[in-house]
Amino acid sequence: MDRPLPQPDQDTEFFWEGLRRRELLIQHCDECGHWIHYPKPACPRCGGTRVKPKAVSGRGVVHTYTVTHNAVPGFEPPFAVVLVDLEEQKGLRLVSNLIGVPPGDVAIGTPVEVVFTDVAPDVVLPLFKVRET
Amino acid sequence: MRDVAIAGAGYSEIARAVDRSVGSLTLEACRNALSDAGLTSKDVDGIATYPGGHDSVSSFYVAEGLGLPKLNWFEDLFGWMPAGITPVIAAAEAVRAGHCETAIAFRTVKRNRTRPPGQGFGGRVGGDAQFRAPFGDVMTSQWLAMWARRHMHDFGTTEEHLGHIAITFREHASMNPVAPLRDNITIDDYFASKIITTPFRILDCDFPVDGGGAVVITTEERARDLPKSPVKYVAGVFASGPRPDWEQWDDLTHMASKYAAEALWRRTDITPQDVDVAEVYDGFSWTALCWMEDMGFCAKGDGGPFFARGDARVGGKLPTNTHGGSMSGGRLHAISHVIECVQQLRGECGARQVHGAKTGVVTAGGGIMAGAALLSRSE
Ligand SMILES: [Zn+2]
Repeated sequence: MDRPLPQPDQDTEFFWEGLRRRELLIQHCDECGHWIHYPKPACPRCGGTRVKPKAVSGRGVVHTYTVTHNAVPGFEPPFAVVLVDLEEQKGLRLVSNLIGVPPGDVAIGTPVEVVFTDVAPDVVLPLFKVRET
Repeated sequence: MRDVAIAGAGYSEIARAVDRSVGSLTLEACRNALSDAGLTSKDVDGIATYPGGHDSVSSFYVAEGLGLPKLNWFEDLFGWMPAGITPVIAAAEAVRAGHCETAIAFRTVKRNRTRPPGQGFGGRVGGDAQFRAPFGDVMTSQWLAMWARRHMHDFGTTEEHLGHIAITFREHASMNPVAPLRDNITIDDYFASKIITTPFRILDCDFPVDGGGAVVITTEERARDLPKSPVKYVAGVFASGPRPDWEQWDDLTHMASKYAAEALWRRTDITPQDVDVAEVYDGFSWTALCWMEDMGFCAKGDGGPFFARGDARVGGKLPTNTHGGSMSGGRLHAISHVIECVQQLRGECGARQVHGAKTGVVTAGGGIMAGAALLSRSE
């Protein structure tokens, strides 16, 4: 079975559309400056509705991870799921996978950067690789 | 506002797989709870349940199944709620407020055997899952495993600590005749058990079963006239936290349990040091560890050593999950935690009885939502 693919909606389409152009876009609140993920119609910090997609650097750090040994659709176990803290804001996180790192070597604190990865004709995923610092 | 008590508690048949309908299990649990209370269905005018992911029956089903003439109050509580404690808190508050006189709160779990965990996510996935499933992140165990991993990183919690949680709860289950897993385990058994998603092994996970549980809640005044000694419902709370998204939670080393604890202890003069028995939600070993820390039963970061020292054992500093929890007593989604607390405070627990137990805490929920209740033996 293949990896599940995203079904965007009105609030999330910009994220997937940006990735197709090799841009990592995160919603940003023009009223208070807060970065927002997952996308929503209002800012969870100030309640403001002037929220707009804005490009981020794609740089981050592995905040935590799990190595999954159970069978999951589209994945050959064992594989690692990571939470990446983006550098723009503490706690601004993406769920992702690391490219080029064996599951047993994934570690908290590893600096990473985004790799735009084609997985279907219309789907690019923001995977990550180790960033040289 | 009236004082409220739990007057009766009962289980249905519980086993890994019971070849009966969820309705039949539910009605059995409700009838057992009523008979334990010394009441009949004619006395009931309120019902609440948490039907989970629509895997159980409604309040109406039970009203009809017990032949109730009518209901003055009912609630079917769906969505992100802290499992089986949800209807108990709702029903107790409804009795307190006078919406009804005597209410049943129940939770029944009947497993879906048609698909294994994580297997419902083929094809295209919408909602929040569109940001998880394409990366293989589809199981609750993975979400909480990532919280546990961060806790290990920040506080030095170890796999061995988690193993002692499993060992402790199994030891308690060995003294509970209705627990489905009653054979004691060792740390070697723990390390030899199958890894699900690190740091969780199968022995870190709750044990799915079919079964139900129910409690009968009424005014304390009325409960005093009933055959069994009433257990006072002192306070109950629900709590969320800063964010509704599991991955976006700022500090993954505490759960919404932190906020439930703050809310609960604000409501009473009783302190964590006064608690004699704790029945805390153990969807996973680490969930229980985090509840113990967040409730103030041990210092933050000391949850692992707390279990490894034996502080959570019957006879220890604060006996915890004395029925075996969900990990060894079966995943009844915390209604069993409520029932066990009631039975402990009545002194009905035989070999696993916490001697002189007067005050108990029950908690449910993991990650982003939490519920907690404080119960005490009526004097
Ligand atoms: Zn804002």
